[in-house]
Amino acid sequence: MTSLEIPQRTLTLTETGPARRGTRPDEVVIAVSPAFGGTFTQTIVGVPHAEVLRQLMAGIEEQGVGVRIVRVWATADLAAISHAAARLSGSGISVGLLSRGTTMIHQKDLARLSNLELFPQSPLLDADVFRAIGSNAAQYAKGESPQPVPTRNDQMARPRWQAKAALLHLKEFECIRDGAGPVELEATIERVAG
Amino acid sequence: MTAAPLTAADYPLSINHPELLRTPTGKPVTALTMDAVVSGELTAEDLRIAPETLELQAQLAESAGRPQLAANFRRAAEMTAIPDAEVLTMYNALRPRASTEAQLLAMADRLETTYAAPVNAALVREAAEVYGRRRLLADDDADQSAPDSAVTPAVAVDEETRA
Amino acid sequence: MTAVQPRNATGSRQSLRTEVLEERPVNLDGFVEEWPEKGLVAMESDFDPQPSVRVEDGRVVEMDGRERADFDFMDSFIADHALDVATTEASVALPSGQIARMLSDPGVSRSDVLAVTRGLTPAKVLDVVKLMNVVEIMQAMQKMRARRTPANQAHSTSARDNPLQVAVDAAEGALRGFAELETTLGVVRYAPLVAIALQVGGQVGRGGVLTQCALEEATELDLGMRGITAYAETISIYGTESVFVDGDDTPWSKTFLASAYASRGIKMRFTSGTGSEVQMGNAEGRSMLYLEIRCILMAKGAGVQGLQNGSISCIGVPGAVPGGIRAVAAENLVASMMDLECASGNDQSFSHSAMRRTARMLPQLLPGTDFVCSGYSAVPNQDNMFAGSNFDTDDYDDWNTIQRDLQVDGGLRHVREPEILAVRTKAARALQALFAQLDLPAITDAEVEAATYANSSNDYPFRDVLADLTGAQAVMDRGITGLDLVRGLEAAGFHDVAENLLSVLRQRVSGDLLQTSAILTADFVPLSAINDANDYAGPGTGYRLEGERWEQLKQLRHVTSATNPETEVR
Repeated sequence: MTSLEIPQRTLTLTETGPARRGTRPDEVVIAVSPAFGGTFTQTIVGVPHAEVLRQLMAGIEEQGVGVRIVRVWATADLAAISHAAARLSGSGISVGLLSRGTTMIHQKDLARLSNLELFPQSPLLDADVFRAIGSNAAQYAKGESPQPVPTRNDQMARPRWQAKAALLHLKEFECIRDGAGPVELEATIERVAG
Repeated sequence: MTAAPLTAADYPLSINHPELLRTPTGKPVTALTMDAVVSGELTAEDLRIAPETLELQAQLAESAGRPQLAANFRRAAEMTAIPDAEVLTMYNALRPRASTEAQLLAMADRLETTYAAPVNAALVREAAEVYGRRRLLADDDADQSAPDSAVTPAVAVDEETRA
Repeated sequence: MTAVQPRNATGSRQSLRTEVLEERPVNLDGFVEEWPEKGLVAMESDFDPQPSVRVEDGRVVEMDGRERADFDFMDSFIADHALDVATTEASVALPSGQIARMLSDPGVSRSDVLAVTRGLTPAKVLDVVKLMNVVEIMQAMQKMRARRTPANQAHSTSARDNPLQVAVDAAEGALRGFAELETTLGVVRYAPLVAIALQVGGQVGRGGVLTQCALEEATELDLGMRGITAYAETISIYGTESVFVDGDDTPWSKTFLASAYASRGIKMRFTSGTGSEVQMGNAEGRSMLYLEIRCILMAKGAGVQGLQNGSISCIGVPGAVPGGIRAVAAENLVASMMDLECASGNDQSFSHSAMRRTARMLPQLLPGTDFVCSGYSAVPNQDNMFAGSNFDTDDYDDWNTIQRDLQVDGGLRHVREPEILAVRTKAARALQALFAQLDLPAITDAEVEAATYANSSNDYPFRDVLADLTGAQAVMDRGITGLDLVRGLEAAGFHDVAENLLSVLRQRVSGDLLQTSAILTADFVPLSAINDANDYAGPGTGYRLEGERWEQLKQLRHVTSATNPETEVR
């Protein structure tokens, strides 16, 4: 799957205030990293962030579960982002996202460095995987035990992507706002005409 | 045991000086035969290194110009007396923010008094000093003392698969 | 498969030659611009410290521009454990060019170089190796390698964690010449069965091969204490305090662990490598090589006998920046010039380009290192559970041919098919018998047959994974040790394999394998930097590929006979 097969969409993320703790037991909170949908617009392999969020949200909503989006400003550590979001989530389930695509499903009662599912090889994550991740997160939120999304592996991801991943990681670090709390986001995804 | 320190020409001990080698249970290395294994005479305890042997290897390392390696063997000689499980416990206690200063100092005392391990005790006291300066001690509040036990997954393509 | 973006997205017309070049495998590799401020730079950075050292009352009080009060824990550990306080001021005062010349000049003995290098601070070491080009680095490595005889290490793993595959590929690897064998798991709970399989297979292939199983630190030590594995390697260290702490260790915890291994008679080396700190986002603005030099000095101070380095799992990072592979060659050299055993990388998937894969390993193969690869994949890369190596079984004949072309010893040899099939069958039968003796899940005759002729895990019948995992747990619960393996093999009639394993276990009583760069020969003679010290002193000296060993390496799969050119040499 390459970015060219995906219709062009724009993503606008608008801050609507400090992130609050959810009360709906049937919601998943998606937490994005400091540079997501701003400094960066696509994952390491060019999946547009608009598409990443669209697929995740669709995967969650298909399960009849609500979704909120927050941004964590104070860290670019995926475990920390995901765990912070899990504690904001009414169901205790979150999906954490780094700009380059690395993704994690977390649960508020787990240790911070633990997780429900981790997708560390960002170059292998495409639209279908993001949809499946959303679906699984929603099923956890409903108290179900879904089959984990199959993890992919590619031995040649290292020579192709390892250094770029490091570079993206460093850039993401530069967008961190020390001490800033998580904020609630409103996402607008619009298909580009023509 | 020879009185003069060993030198490079004595290595390897398993070939040049089997008579110097004993198990911690006091058996000569020549007793470690297949017959003894089959008859059940030997236990896993017999396949360990004795502190005296580590001292001999320390002398060899020293004579080869490797003082740090020799020091490692001398710490190891002291450690032969510590049961496996406690070695692992002590290792975990030395991890960052796993112990308070008092806990590390108590561990050093235990090394010295229970196991006659002054070199290891000194290492642990040194760790306590540096950890204090670098804020790597556990908070005195006991609830905070459990360390996170895994590396934060930091970067994509990033599972560390050190081979 | 990795998603790939078309690179000619602009739509403008390309030349046919550009199209050809775009399709070359090397263009699937990733390359990035340097960013020295963040440490994304190999070894030439204005942000690295300048060398300095000051000693007062027998104590280092200043190192590389930092006062003792400002030392982080790496500085403290290096200053107090690695540097030779008596010589450090004099050594650091020597012009770096002079030290670099000593390193590459065969007229200066290894021990004369060590007399200087044991007092060098990290920044001074960097200042020295920065002056050396890759040929000078190789020339120095040829002399500074600790063991006279070079060797090689293999991975034997299975994508299905099939113990039988691990055993037979270990046997074949040992027969082909690897001195050490390493395994790891997809499903960690499989570890006891796979570690047993590696040990048994290795001893079938060639008595005296040393084995290890890469696991989380405490579990790895446990298997070693039980005598199921013979050495350990995956004890990771890092060049900045913050990344070291992220790894949940400190120089003191790792030093304690090093002594713990030695206290049980078990060989051990640390692991580090360029690029790990910048990949973790905490390089503190230092170059990759500077941080790796700190790791090497920390390892030296810990008194561990050796180090696996050469970027290892982070090779994609130095591999992507200018001069990165030169820096990797330099880090291997620094380990050797600190008098440590060096298992020199070449152990992770590195490039889509066969030319680049080969060029990357020449700085280790040509001068020789203690272990040229710290993990040549003795299984097809699809089965490599370390995420793939720079070389795998498909490359055996190429490797052997390069050894023969250049007359260098990379530790392997060509072995004829009947011998290979014989050890594969024997390893499979031995494991089958041992599992039966120990009441572990059965290995069928059909599996033995498949194992004999297999290439990858796809060629084996499926095993009952749940039964295997139950068996693996039983190994731990019943406290099975290396001695039980010896007893089982002996009872099953595999007397020579049992003897080989007992001889390896007996070594831990002698401690001979604890010395720097120690391996065991097929006659169970420990060969280390003490009794096989590198004595290279210029042309005609040191290790030479000659005599019987050279005759072995002249053999390839297809060599036309000079006596009867209508046939091939047998």
